[in-house]
Amino acid sequence: MAKLLSENFYKEMGKLEPRYPSKVALLLPALHEAQKETGWLPPEIMEEIGTYIGIHPAQVREVASFYTMYNLKPVGKYHLKICTNVACCLRGSEELVDHCKKKFGIELGETTPDKKFTLMEEECLGACGTAPAMMLNDDYHENLTVQGLDKILDGLK
Amino acid sequence: METYKGETLFIQHFKNEEARSLDYYKKKMIGYESAKKALAMSQDDIINEVKKSNLRGRGGAGFPTGTKWGFIPKQSAKPKYLVCNADESEPGTFKDRDIMRYTPHTLIEGMIIGGFAIGSNVGYIYIRGEYTREFTLLNEAIDEAYKAGYLGKNILGTQFSFDLTVHRGAGAYICGEETGLLNSLEGKRGEPRVKPPFPAQSGAFAGPTIVNNVETLASIPFIIQKGGEWFSKLSKIEKSGGTRLLGVSGHVKKPGLYELPAGGVTLRQLIYDYCGGILNDRKLKAVIPGGSSAPVLTADEIDVIYDIEPLQKIGTMMGSAAVMVVSEDYCMVKLIQRITKFYAHESCGQCTPCREGCKWMEDILHRIEHGHGREQDLALLLSIADNINGKTLCALGDAAAGPVSSFVKKFRGDFEAHIRGKKCPNA
Amino acid sequence: MPKCIIDGREVEFKPGQNLVEVAASVGIEIPVFCYHPGLTVVAQCRMCAIEIEKMPKLQTACSTPAAEGMVVKTKSDRVKQNQKSVMEFLLINHPLDCPICDKSGECDLQDNSYKYGDSYMRTTEERRTYMDLDMGPVIQKSMNRCIHCTRCIRFGQEIAGIHEMVAVQRGNNTEITTIDGRPLETDYAGNYSDICPTGSLTLKDFRFKKRVWYLKKTPTVCEGCSRGCNMEIQQDANTVYRCVPRTNMEINKYWLCDEGRFNYQYIHDAARVLNPAVSGGTAGLQMTEWSQAVVAARSSLDGKKPMVLVGSDLTQEEVQALQQFLNKHLSGTPIFHFGTPGVTSTQKDGAADPILKRKSKTANLNGLEKLGIKGFESVPSGVNAAIIFRGGRAVVPELKGVGTKVGVGVFNKPDAEDFHAILPGTSFAEKDGTIFNFEGREQKFKRAILPQGQSKNLPEILMLWANSGAVGGAA
Repeated sequence: MAKLLSENFYKEMGKLEPRYPSKVALLLPALHEAQKETGWLPPEIMEEIGTYIGIHPAQVREVASFYTMYNLKPVGKYHLKICTNVACCLRGSEELVDHCKKKFGIELGETTPDKKFTLMEEECLGACGTAPAMMLNDDYHENLTVQGLDKILDGLK
Repeated sequence: METYKGETLFIQHFKNEEARSLDYYKKKMIGYESAKKALAMSQDDIINEVKKSNLRGRGGAGFPTGTKWGFIPKQSAKPKYLVCNADESEPGTFKDRDIMRYTPHTLIEGMIIGGFAIGSNVGYIYIRGEYTREFTLLNEAIDEAYKAGYLGKNILGTQFSFDLTVHRGAGAYICGEETGLLNSLEGKRGEPRVKPPFPAQSGAFAGPTIVNNVETLASIPFIIQKGGEWFSKLSKIEKSGGTRLLGVSGHVKKPGLYELPAGGVTLRQLIYDYCGGILNDRKLKAVIPGGSSAPVLTADEIDVIYDIEPLQKIGTMMGSAAVMVVSEDYCMVKLIQRITKFYAHESCGQCTPCREGCKWMEDILHRIEHGHGREQDLALLLSIADNINGKTLCALGDAAAGPVSSFVKKFRGDFEAHIRGKKCPNA
Repeated sequence: MPKCIIDGREVEFKPGQNLVEVAASVGIEIPVFCYHPGLTVVAQCRMCAIEIEKMPKLQTACSTPAAEGMVVKTKSDRVKQNQKSVMEFLLINHPLDCPICDKSGECDLQDNSYKYGDSYMRTTEERRTYMDLDMGPVIQKSMNRCIHCTRCIRFGQEIAGIHEMVAVQRGNNTEITTIDGRPLETDYAGNYSDICPTGSLTLKDFRFKKRVWYLKKTPTVCEGCSRGCNMEIQQDANTVYRCVPRTNMEINKYWLCDEGRFNYQYIHDAARVLNPAVSGGTAGLQMTEWSQAVVAARSSLDGKKPMVLVGSDLTQEEVQALQQFLNKHLSGTPIFHFGTPGVTSTQKDGAADPILKRKSKTANLNGLEKLGIKGFESVPSGVNAAIIFRGGRAVVPELKGVGTKVGVGVFNKPDAEDFHAILPGTSFAEKDGTIFNFEGREQKFKRAILPQGQSKNLPEILMLWANSGAVGGAA
């Protein structure tokens, strides 16, 4: 079967391999690296990772599905994860969520039809002192207000 | 408004974008001098110095670090591991993030010393997946340390070698539990393990393992530099040494991190003197004093010295030193529902009481918050919490049960108003 | 031996033994769900939590090794309260569909609920439900009934050696499954159903066939290969409904392969020849009376030079009776055993997988060798007829130049169309007997059901043959 993951993926994994006493320990890094390339983790990619590590594809799936950061469904170009845990809730994160729902016309967990935005609720991001906070793809945005959020979103291409 | 004028370890370097470089670390901080010193000491002497310091685990359990290190067997057929718990996932907690992004070398140096003290040549920093920037910054600092000869083979010309790898989590609170973390490190689901065996006997990759929090390990270079006794005297309370990074969030005027001597303030002083009091000068309703798993305190209970034992005495805990402040206008039922939803979401699902009980409590609380509560629900909630508390495989069950019991007991009137009024009075 | 105290009784134990086992050794039951003696200990279900003196929290008995002087209480109020609580937690999302569940009557969840649970329910919330994907031909999955004990997952990884059954998602949404509806790959899938403490994983083969309380159980030995796994035949009204493993720590531990488990199916196969039959020329096999079939069998050998082929799926008693019969009535006839193509002697037998299966697909190869019978390699020169004695397993080899075949035992119509006569015999479920497994272990098994149709046990058939001399034939 033709490989779906890039040479760079295998190069990165090759660099990490000597750092662990077992190859299975590469699973989380491999899933991260693969998701960086493909945006999400379709079954074929997870199958390829399983083959690379030498484990059953079901083992890849059980691990991947345990962690919320691995996207087992496609996500939009911009993946908004708004923290609604205690500290952010106390500082008005629900308003942000409602605002986004209205703005994009989608519910939590959904992606806009143009595949541009995916809206999710996130558990505590560890930015409670600068709440409310959200992740936009890999980046944190803190001390958010509805106006501030709009400014960020409107600046996205 | 108060600011602490005494000696602090970390906070003066935070928010300084220059601070994370090795150059800065050598000029303004410890600069791996403690590692040099430690590598010339015996392992026992280092452990004794840490014991003397009264350093207690900063992750939440507050276990004395020196004692923990002492559990590791001197001889082991399998390699030993030192693992840093940088999962920082207890809601309300955000201190380790700043250590990693502003003073990463304190952590790296602490791990070198710790590795040497327990006889381990391999260290991992398990960082929560969301901290992508901190992951990058840590890796940059580690690269610097390798290049300068502080990591790798024959550190500082000694026989000691130590390799350090940052391992990213991927979104699971339970990986902050040390055996869940170890499973995750090994490429498995982050499900906590049955104990015994404890990690010190069989941990990462079945080798003897010590798991320490970021702040704990980052404190080590200071202890070696100035001595355990100096460190223990930084605190204002017996049994706890050093300063503590306190994270205050929620309805205060100045949320953020504060570094204060252990046991140096009461909760009231922290909230009103340091954080400027309640947002919009409202009245205080409640304080969650140690991350969201800590049983809640009412406004009348905050004249307590903010440290491990005093909080334990009044039935709550200091946990990861994360203080969440709630003002009078916020609905307590909504709050506990949100907290319980979190624990239900983060339950790994292995053990029965946690998997079934957390969701059950969440469902009931959701009903009450939305006006469908029944009189018998409160007794039921207390009973479910009781059936979870102390009966689960790891501490997540307790973390979910404690808050529910305390909210229902201490704010019973708020729940009853929801049930009788058939809606949230705040809505 | 060291001693501990359980519920006030002094109990001896072997060092390392856990409290569930130690208690069981003196008849004290500590209820369990996730614990299984053949799998690793995970202490997840929390049902076995007991009180140990000087320990503030309840401890899981499965994960606690007994210690000298340990004082254990298994029936204290706290223990009972925890058992009630665990039962309640396990049932809040269970569908309670016992009336249509195949596990009903032998279900740990049902039994423990009855013994340790409360008789009322406090939950009013909506129950969790799942959509089930297929798992292949062996196992029917009903995830709604699952209590997440993970026995199946551990069985896959630790015994079957394949990580195919997994837990996906987490927490309250955890689902035990194969991925994307993939069929189970292991040849040991039936065990998933045996060890499941609820009706979450049931056998498709057994589904909706019989309420388990009607089943009569007979200990037997699997005839599927030369290991001789211990199992139980479960039948009602002379119909076998299933076979399940019987624990024997020295042979098969707790397990059984699917081939052995489902081997019984041929007993009730519609194609099995259950009446004496003779060749009707182009019309194929024709049913007839026993007396006529025996005569036809004998007379078909007139003027022929026969050999005797005896299946290594026959019992020691059967083969000994046959040897006596041959000495008396067909002396000088060459005799060979047959069973598995390529495995003509115990030397050629060996492990077929790292778990239980052996290369010899018949159970008594060793026994037949002990009786001095050689394996069939090729038809000896001059031989032009064969009397084939077969149980249910042996594969009849290709017989070049043999024009006349008489079958005695279990045959299927399509395989026996060119036979001159069939004298229907019995399967392992229809007779008593002794077999020797590959290690030389002698094992006896008991008849579970009466011979099906007109079939008869071999000694009886031989008797008929011997006594038919007056009617015709050479003996």
